[in-house]
Amino acid sequence: MARTPRPPRLRIGIDTGGTFTDIVAVDAASGAIRVTKVASTPANPAIGLKRGIDAILNAAGAAPDAVAGLAHGTTVATNALLQGEIRSLGLIVTAGFRHILEIARQTVPVGYGNSYFWVKPERIVPLGLVREIGGRLDFHGQELRPFDEESARAAARFFRRRGVAAIAVCLIHAYANPAHERRVAEIMREEYPDAALSLSCEVLPEYREYERAVTTLVDVFVKPHMGRYLARVHDELGSALRSKPFLVMQSNGGVASAEQVMRRPITTALSGPAAGALGSAVVAAVAGYPDVATLDAGGTSTDICLIEGGQPGLTNSGAVGPFPVRIPMIDIATIGTGGGSIAWIGREGGLKVGPRSAGAEPGPMCYPNGGDEPTITDANLVLGRIPPSLIGGGIALDAERARAGLKALAARLPGAMSPEQLAHGIIDIANWNQTNSIRQMTIQRGIDPRGFALLSFGGAGPAQSSAVMDLIGMQALIVPPNPGNLSAFGLLAVDWRTDHMVTKVMHEDAIDLTALATLYHGLEREAAATLRRDGIPTSRVRLVREADVRYAGQSMEVRVSAPGGPVDRKFLAGLIAAFHAAHLKTFGYNYSGAQKVELVNVCVSGFGLIERPRMPRLARHAGKPRARRRPVYFGGAFRDTPIYERATLPPGWKIAGAAVIEEFGSTTVVFPGQSLSVDPHGILIIRRQSKGRDS
Amino acid sequence: MNRFERLSRTRTKRRPAGRSRPAVDPIVLQIVEGTLNSIEAEIEYAIERTARSPMIREAHDYRVGLFDRHCRKLTGRSYSAMPNAVVRDFPPATMRPGDVFLMNDTYLTEGSIGHLPDLCSTVPVFHRGDVVAYIQAFGHHDDIGGRVPGSMPGTARSVFEEGLAVPPVKLYSAGVRNDAVFSIVTRNTRVPEMLAADVDSEVQACLMGARRMAELFDRFGQAAVEACFQAIIEKCRDVFRHELLPKIADGEYAWEDYVEHDGVSAPRLHKLALKMIKRRDRIVLDFTGTDPQSPGPINWPADYADGAFLIKWIAPILRNLADTPERAAEIHVNEGVCEVFEVKFPPKGTLITPRWPAATNARSFVLLRALGLLAGVVAQAVEGRMPADQETIRYTGFFGLDSTGKPFLSREVLGGGSGGRYYADGNDAIHIVPDSRNQPAEFTETRFPLLVENLALRTDSGGAGRRRGGLGYDKHYRALVDCRTIVTADRVRLGCYGIAGGRAGAPFRVSIVGDSATRELDGLVDGAPVKAGEIVRVMTTGGGGWGDPLEREPALVLRDVTDGKVSAEAARTEYGVVLIQTDDGRAIDDGKTTALRAELRAHRGALPMIDRGPGYAAMMEQTKKVRWTG
Repeated sequence: MARTPRPPRLRIGIDTGGTFTDIVAVDAASGAIRVTKVASTPANPAIGLKRGIDAILNAAGAAPDAVAGLAHGTTVATNALLQGEIRSLGLIVTAGFRHILEIARQTVPVGYGNSYFWVKPERIVPLGLVREIGGRLDFHGQELRPFDEESARAAARFFRRRGVAAIAVCLIHAYANPAHERRVAEIMREEYPDAALSLSCEVLPEYREYERAVTTLVDVFVKPHMGRYLARVHDELGSALRSKPFLVMQSNGGVASAEQVMRRPITTALSGPAAGALGSAVVAAVAGYPDVATLDAGGTSTDICLIEGGQPGLTNSGAVGPFPVRIPMIDIATIGTGGGSIAWIGREGGLKVGPRSAGAEPGPMCYPNGGDEPTITDANLVLGRIPPSLIGGGIALDAERARAGLKALAARLPGAMSPEQLAHGIIDIANWNQTNSIRQMTIQRGIDPRGFALLSFGGAGPAQSSAVMDLIGMQALIVPPNPGNLSAFGLLAVDWRTDHMVTKVMHEDAIDLTALATLYHGLEREAAATLRRDGIPTSRVRLVREADVRYAGQSMEVRVSAPGGPVDRKFLAGLIAAFHAAHLKTFGYNYSGAQKVELVNVCVSGFGLIERPRMPRLARHAGKPRARRRPVYFGGAFRDTPIYERATLPPGWKIAGAAVIEEFGSTTVVFPGQSLSVDPHGILIIRRQSKGRDS
Repeated sequence: MNRFERLSRTRTKRRPAGRSRPAVDPIVLQIVEGTLNSIEAEIEYAIERTARSPMIREAHDYRVGLFDRHCRKLTGRSYSAMPNAVVRDFPPATMRPGDVFLMNDTYLTEGSIGHLPDLCSTVPVFHRGDVVAYIQAFGHHDDIGGRVPGSMPGTARSVFEEGLAVPPVKLYSAGVRNDAVFSIVTRNTRVPEMLAADVDSEVQACLMGARRMAELFDRFGQAAVEACFQAIIEKCRDVFRHELLPKIADGEYAWEDYVEHDGVSAPRLHKLALKMIKRRDRIVLDFTGTDPQSPGPINWPADYADGAFLIKWIAPILRNLADTPERAAEIHVNEGVCEVFEVKFPPKGTLITPRWPAATNARSFVLLRALGLLAGVVAQAVEGRMPADQETIRYTGFFGLDSTGKPFLSREVLGGGSGGRYYADGNDAIHIVPDSRNQPAEFTETRFPLLVENLALRTDSGGAGRRRGGLGYDKHYRALVDCRTIVTADRVRLGCYGIAGGRAGAPFRVSIVGDSATRELDGLVDGAPVKAGEIVRVMTTGGGGWGDPLEREPALVLRDVTDGKVSAEAARTEYGVVLIQTDDGRAIDDGKTTALRAELRAHRGALPMIDRGPGYAAMMEQTKKVRWTG
């Protein structure tokens, strides 16, 4: 066999965060993994992205032609929504529904009495830029009143005259029949071709007019932002990398080509934490724990995600800021506790930790030019639990300044606490916050967290997470290799994914199997075509059917997977059985045999399967791990504690706490009463030795 | 006084004895407080996940409470019931782990349960063999028997029409279920399976909460945890004493407000009277002068447990006195407020001191009015620095047979506009119960033979003011079959009041629009016929306005007109703003606006602190007549 030129072998994941851009490269041939970090460039994130790629190629000694593909996680859409000024957005609705955004769901956020002092936020589109057009469908998609061409034309001209740049269309029951919305699109193209346009029947063909309207508006709002960004990326990449497959992370836990993303940019709206969840799922499975809760503690907040049976949970009732976005996204709860969370005294004199944060600027007190209030990071430093220098050892941290800040705070509190006692208390409070959030999240989903392991990554997590594991009584704490780069790693462990759905309400007794088959086949064709456009060979395409089903008369659906094969009576029986089972699991009961069901949404997800990176086994090296020692505060006193370099720990190594494991960008603390073992892949696994208390 | 009433008069001790107590560790305090809030949320999530009644799952009508062993409420996410009646009938020394108590009797629960569908579970928490706390939950269940489905007969004249009344009973004894209680309860409802499952869901959630609470005691010890409870209660008390009360000058302030009908007698105003006596760090609420109890279902047995339930229900309105709305949202209200307020009830036999067996199922009218009543009294004491009035709960619906002959019943809780505040306009179309949701038109049309022709805000319904009242709904349902419509609504004659020169919002209206004529309906309708093709038009209340409408920035008035919230006519008559048509919409005519405002100012009298709307004078007349003739 003739030797062919060496095929491109490096798959590169680039995860752009607010402060750092993390890069991971996997060598498909050897399985070797390489990681690095560069500073993010918020003014034009494409520059940081390119620098990151260059840095990892340099480190690997590889040229651009060695790159097999790029996968990118970006928060451009999220940031546009959370920070961008929303101007120049228009909405077209059915006559009679002009106030749809003002009324919303009449909901006041939780907290009794809020209806008196809560102020409804400005709507995403001011009423003056909402236009009604004539024509009405019923829920079967039948026309009750014909489409009013003139009102649509008048709306288009109105928006052109006003210079409104992005317009969403949401007509009643458009999910059942897109004809009217498509006609609006044609008229817009004639009258105002420059406007960005999104149709609700394409973005979210699902019943519930308010949520569909907002989702469509968010989509059209982020379109120009995403378009600009991807064009910049294209410019920056240069000719050698421009031709490589470039995939973008979506909120649903899959990737898609930049071109697909531009069709429905909303699919990236909450993709930030998704890659971390997927990376966690890979690590947890390798470590032998298919059920885990993940903690991603950053500077200002912590993301929590539940992974059951190796799969991160999905939700379609998420939100970005105040905007409900009903597209499938990885189910993540965010709490306002992170490494930079400030310890402060509330108005009534009580000690609080977060949600105020020193963030990256000014940062904790111990940082060079740091803030003036002690943070969780300062507390960890004073207790000796984190090293006295920043990432990589370059910048020294000022422990004395942190200690002085804690002392000053302690002086304002009762109990004559020492700075160390206060530091310990601050961390305790943060741990209980995380514990309570995990409990709430698991209870909402009917899960007992004690059967789960905890997986901690992100810069500010592993120094405390083994205490959280103990507070809840979880199975173990898992710390992946390179915990600061898990999201970038996750980007490489992700399949292509495209979700397609349509609402069609059918009572169990009146299901038209032919119509249902037509719907499924239509969605399957759409999904397959989308993946084909991204160049996925048919052999690697997998189509998964799902359906949203509810008991007749209720308004809460459960998404269940539907059988493949012919859509016949057997299919239906399988689907209904799956619904009863899912209802039992989700809500603790079902009405199997007692109550009829309704099919609500028909869904198909298309997956383009990738070659997953294998986690390489840790090489055995000779010699014992080296330990330095320093005093670390546990259970009321400093105790001389061994400090290990993680890179020196061999597979299979075990040690009893207390111990501290340091590495680039993260520190893991093993508390007294806990034991640590290093698994064959270098994953740290911490368990309780006996039924012990926290530190 | 019958035996039950006498029983329920016995008081439970609410305050712990002794002065000395351990110092509170600020770390443990923060952990205990955070965990109590989390336990409350966890119980709510568990109920939401496993309960079945739509009122619980979709309208979020259920409440959880955590209490210390003195029956003092510890958490402030929402109002809740009280365990006092359970402790009264079952001394804590006799309680055992695994006991669960059930009750719903509006009188024998000491007024902590307001209508019978709210079955309430109570679970004691144990530490080293002693009761140290209580966990409680009740939900609005779909039916507990009585004369009509849903157990809320708008024309009830006694509790015997309203359903099954359960005094405090032991549902579980040391973990063993009392099947007799269960079978009596389930035999007395139209939806036995759903009710049994709901109660089961609430019981299990409370037991879970009790385990979580016991863990706190195990970890930190009883003395430390109870010191935290005390500190949490005192914090609330001190916020009221030192932060909110100083905003009110010492003195006496009196006012009255009205429920506008009771379902069984001729429409008249049913008066709730309140005199607030403010002295330094204490407030006395004297309800003397409140009208006699009604023969209909609008009575509220509030005169138990020193009025603790009433205080915890209405005192939170004082949070509006906080420096900023953001600060108001931070203030949690627990039993600590009961040390700041004292209630003087009128003698037995009034709307808030009814005698058993007066009906109570529509007591929400009185409950909501009591909130607005205190807000109105306070407003007069602080020169109007309180929000104007709102009324954001009512039920509307349809029933009949659909085109295939199957029966259908649709019930919807539609909100309204909230009142203007000194810092913002009122909110449009909101509901007082947090997280409650309306029905999407695309759901309504799929489920019921109805077509939603218009889902809009009701133009001009918000009371005029410098800060306008929020708008109510103008929702049009076209009936696709012959059917009937139901309405349970108050504020149908008087508008939600305006404050500090602001005008009252528009009252609730519902009408049936036919081909030839429009029929107006009243606020309590048990099934008015609607023909296929006719439109039922529901217009809900706008909030009251705040401040002088002539001081509203003309640019805001222009925006309201552009948005369809205010008509051009009202811009001129209410706000004195003259608009002119331009090429691209409307613009303000500055000169004419200044002139018109000057003219309007010159021709009006002094602005009242509170405006009740044009319906008030007519209703006072009507009320006098009805009282006179009997």
